[in-house]
Amino acid sequence: MHFFELAEPASLQEAIGLLGDSGGRPVAGGTAVMLMMKTGVFQPERLVSLRKIESQYSQIRLDSEGNLRLGAMTPLRRIERSADVAAVAPVVTAAMRRLSNVRVRNVATLGGHLAHGDPHLDLPPVLIALNASLVVASPSGERTMPVEDLFRGYLETALAPDELIAEVIVPANPDQRAAYLKHTTRSAEDWPALGIAVALTLNGGTVETARVAIGAATDTPRRLTSVETMLIGNPHNDAVLQTTGDATAGEAEVHSDARGSAAYKRELIRVFTARAIRQAVEGDRA
Amino acid sequence: MTGGSTTTVGHSFPRMEGRAKVTGQADYIYNMRLPSMLHAKVHRSPISHGRIRSINTAAAAAMPGVHQVITGEDVKAVLPEPYYGPAFHDQPILALEKVRHFGEPVAVVLAPDPHVAETAAQRIVVDYEELPAVFDEVEALTSEAIVHEELKPAGTFADLKHLSGKRDTNIALDFHLNHGDADKAFAEAAHVFEHTFRTQQTMHTPFEPMVALADVRNDRAEIFSSTQSPSFVRFELSRLLGWPESNVRVKTSHLGGGFGAKVYVKVEALAMALSLIAHRPVRVAQTMEEQFYTITKHPNTFRIRSAVDGDGRITGRKCEVWWNGGAYADIGPRVTQKSGFTAAGPYDIDNIDIDSFALYTNRPPAGALRGFGIPQLVWAYESHTDIIASELGLDPVDFRKRNILRNGRPQAVGTIVEDGEFEAVLDGVAQRLGWNRPFDKGSGTKRRGRGVAIGFKASISPTTSSAIVSVNADGSVIVYCSTVDMGQGSDTAMAQIAAEVLDVPLDLIRVVNPDTDVTPYDMSTLGSRSTFHMGHAVQLAATDARDKLRAMADEVGLPEGSNAPLPELFIKKFGMRAGTVVGAANYKPDYAPPNYETGQSPNATPFWMIGAAGAEVEVDTETGQFRILRLVNVCDIGKPINPEVVETQISGAAVMQLGFTLTETMIIENGQLTNPSLADYKIPGLFDMPDVMENGFIEAEQHNGPFGAKGAGESGTFGVSPAIANAIADAVGVRITEMPITAEAIFRALREKAGRPLEDV
Repeated sequence: MHFFELAEPASLQEAIGLLGDSGGRPVAGGTAVMLMMKTGVFQPERLVSLRKIESQYSQIRLDSEGNLRLGAMTPLRRIERSADVAAVAPVVTAAMRRLSNVRVRNVATLGGHLAHGDPHLDLPPVLIALNASLVVASPSGERTMPVEDLFRGYLETALAPDELIAEVIVPANPDQRAAYLKHTTRSAEDWPALGIAVALTLNGGTVETARVAIGAATDTPRRLTSVETMLIGNPHNDAVLQTTGDATAGEAEVHSDARGSAAYKRELIRVFTARAIRQAVEGDRA
Repeated sequence: MTGGSTTTVGHSFPRMEGRAKVTGQADYIYNMRLPSMLHAKVHRSPISHGRIRSINTAAAAAMPGVHQVITGEDVKAVLPEPYYGPAFHDQPILALEKVRHFGEPVAVVLAPDPHVAETAAQRIVVDYEELPAVFDEVEALTSEAIVHEELKPAGTFADLKHLSGKRDTNIALDFHLNHGDADKAFAEAAHVFEHTFRTQQTMHTPFEPMVALADVRNDRAEIFSSTQSPSFVRFELSRLLGWPESNVRVKTSHLGGGFGAKVYVKVEALAMALSLIAHRPVRVAQTMEEQFYTITKHPNTFRIRSAVDGDGRITGRKCEVWWNGGAYADIGPRVTQKSGFTAAGPYDIDNIDIDSFALYTNRPPAGALRGFGIPQLVWAYESHTDIIASELGLDPVDFRKRNILRNGRPQAVGTIVEDGEFEAVLDGVAQRLGWNRPFDKGSGTKRRGRGVAIGFKASISPTTSSAIVSVNADGSVIVYCSTVDMGQGSDTAMAQIAAEVLDVPLDLIRVVNPDTDVTPYDMSTLGSRSTFHMGHAVQLAATDARDKLRAMADEVGLPEGSNAPLPELFIKKFGMRAGTVVGAANYKPDYAPPNYETGQSPNATPFWMIGAAGAEVEVDTETGQFRILRLVNVCDIGKPINPEVVETQISGAAVMQLGFTLTETMIIENGQLTNPSLADYKIPGLFDMPDVMENGFIEAEQHNGPFGAKGAGESGTFGVSPAIANAIADAVGVRITEMPITAEAIFRALREKAGRPLEDV
């Protein structure tokens, strides 16, 4: 590993000032950054640790409208154990048990998990399906963006070099049912070959709203809008699920890697889309 | 289980080092530091095969904090023949003239700060003339790419005396066995079957990576190493240095895993050479990543053919096995021969031909890994067995029992089987699985199946173990032996044997960590040989001490049969608490080497290790994903010295093999290893364990073993992979012939079977 300077600013604003033109690169929990530094693919001259910024950025709270507000520096393990998260977004709680392993979850943060831009991570499709948004801080102030707009390419995000995710907002939606399924093809703790998240509302036997997002098999986490269109306004019976599954095959560009061939992953998307929808419909809001 | 007439042996005492380990107090070489020590970091070859045109070390040497940069030529200047290896002296300490695999050590930076050394090592620039490379073991037989122009047999082992290698080929060793008349059996057969199976390259992943510290000065070399083979390291380093063995000291400690990775010489020769050149203590400590370039498990290809008569009796078998040994032979030739002669499986077959080839390729070297080639063979012959049973409409367990090898019958190598409870082991698995009860095969997209498999192994032979047992004047006892406790519990077993013979409580026994200045010779801790060989040596040494104590009792006038406490005896003899009684022994079992032409030997092994597995699986037919509902492992380990330790040995071996079956594979693309880290090379975790796992052993006794015991460290690996493949075939009717067994492979096979092969667009 190369030598680097480590800065430990005490505030978010100070941290932002050390990024961008000042040459610093941010590090939160460091679980991904350290892997990249050890293999030499990332060789920063200066790391800006966010561990000592204001504690408000590692808190979980509900705002006045009941929306879930998660500080970007919150460790994943705390999200896993939060009663507020379990109440507003039980699908997030459920996804945590098989997100990497407990050693990583103790250290990795929500902000780092998203800003890393790695398509193999679990929460991006979940948060896209839940229509979550980000509060992003920069020297010029704050802006808000949907999570689905964050991902631009493999390890590429829409964040400027001097921007940091400050907060993640998951809108309250008591009528929504959601599910997340992942498929690992090597060890159970491996990064998935496919992650798929579904969030929908029902009106009797008909799907009223639907958001479907996938990760891992594609270059970036993304919505499957053709599936959503097919679902909305239709009954959620086996025949519809079959056709929605089949519709996925063409929509997303899928790549071969050590976790499986592109052809196999397309089959997985087809099967797991239908399964995730079924689980969302049949589960009690899990 | 009770120990019968014994008070210590046969009882489940807790491991002697267990408390120190779980409280973080155990010593490991990896944590050791020496005063004024330098850290070594290795610059490795990025290509698989090439000539070194030049090495430019200027930028690295100029970096502040760098002590010295060392290349193969620098090593050659102080050690004129700087090649090592147990079977061939083919491996240079640092590359000379050529590199033969990606990741081969080419140069080293020494610095007091390991991070400086690491950064500087990346600044070394090497100019290569790239040569054609060969990676596949079958292609290596005929390839134009020749890995070694010259072969240098070591002549170390009694059983490999004929080893010469074949010039201008990649064949390091060819082993041939002819038993009966296989051609005739095939000509007369009612049914003939032929299949080919393959296994992948994997790595041991010991959690304490390979590490050695060397301090060479004043004609004395002190080596501290996480090694399984202290005596061999001493032998090999003294040969390289041209010094007597008494000038080389090799000391070890508890090992954070070994599994065969740390046998013979690994990083010790490099550490020694660097210290010799730098005149300072040097630490060579690998990262987990570097271990992938150091030693691996042999991938292989196995073509197996069987002749079967109308009654379901196997009358003939022809086996061709190609072992991918990588760029340096290491102990591959011995794998080729020792595993080779069991390639036809644990069956009583009158007519057998075996051809087994150790091949050089441009991959990282392959050597010993828990099972020593056996799991690769069992994968093939037990998958093949189930295919035959299925095609003949026979029950897989009945078909095996119809053909199983029994005591009193000759194994393929010509040695009569004694104390080999093959059928009982197979019955043990079948009983635990409830084989004769109805089985729920599932429905819809969830299909269930079950399968069994049985394998066996001969002990490595001939090998020698020596032990010293000393009795202190207070009646406490010290056992000196060079068996390395790498997690298998050997210290506890040796202490139990000494305690039993001397009739002293276990907590009065101390087992010394191997230190070649102190502990006597042992061939190595490998191949599940320690319980049998060192167990014997300790038993004999303790008996020697006991005899001397009896003589001493006579001398001081104690009546025969007196059970005067030992401290009293010493006081009677020496007038105070003083003196030491020392027992010592060497043990080497009888052996007859195989005939080179026929491979036949009347006494090829002192004992047989037998292991069987049974698996129940559930396959998701829409994805190929499968879950192991149940994994049962049953072994013949003779009589256990410590039943609980034996059970954990069996489960540990089975779990390790589960990783090789399901998740572990070194992925090589365009001559590069693409996953040399635990992030991308996946060992199984807790969530990958079978829902239910049972591990046990049958009632048995090894009559020539110490207290009826034999080795138990590997038998749990034998049956796991084919039992799972057989269960998958039973569940969904598809046969996987290449490891690892992946969900995608099953999915593709299912689509193939349905007439809709998955198209790669």
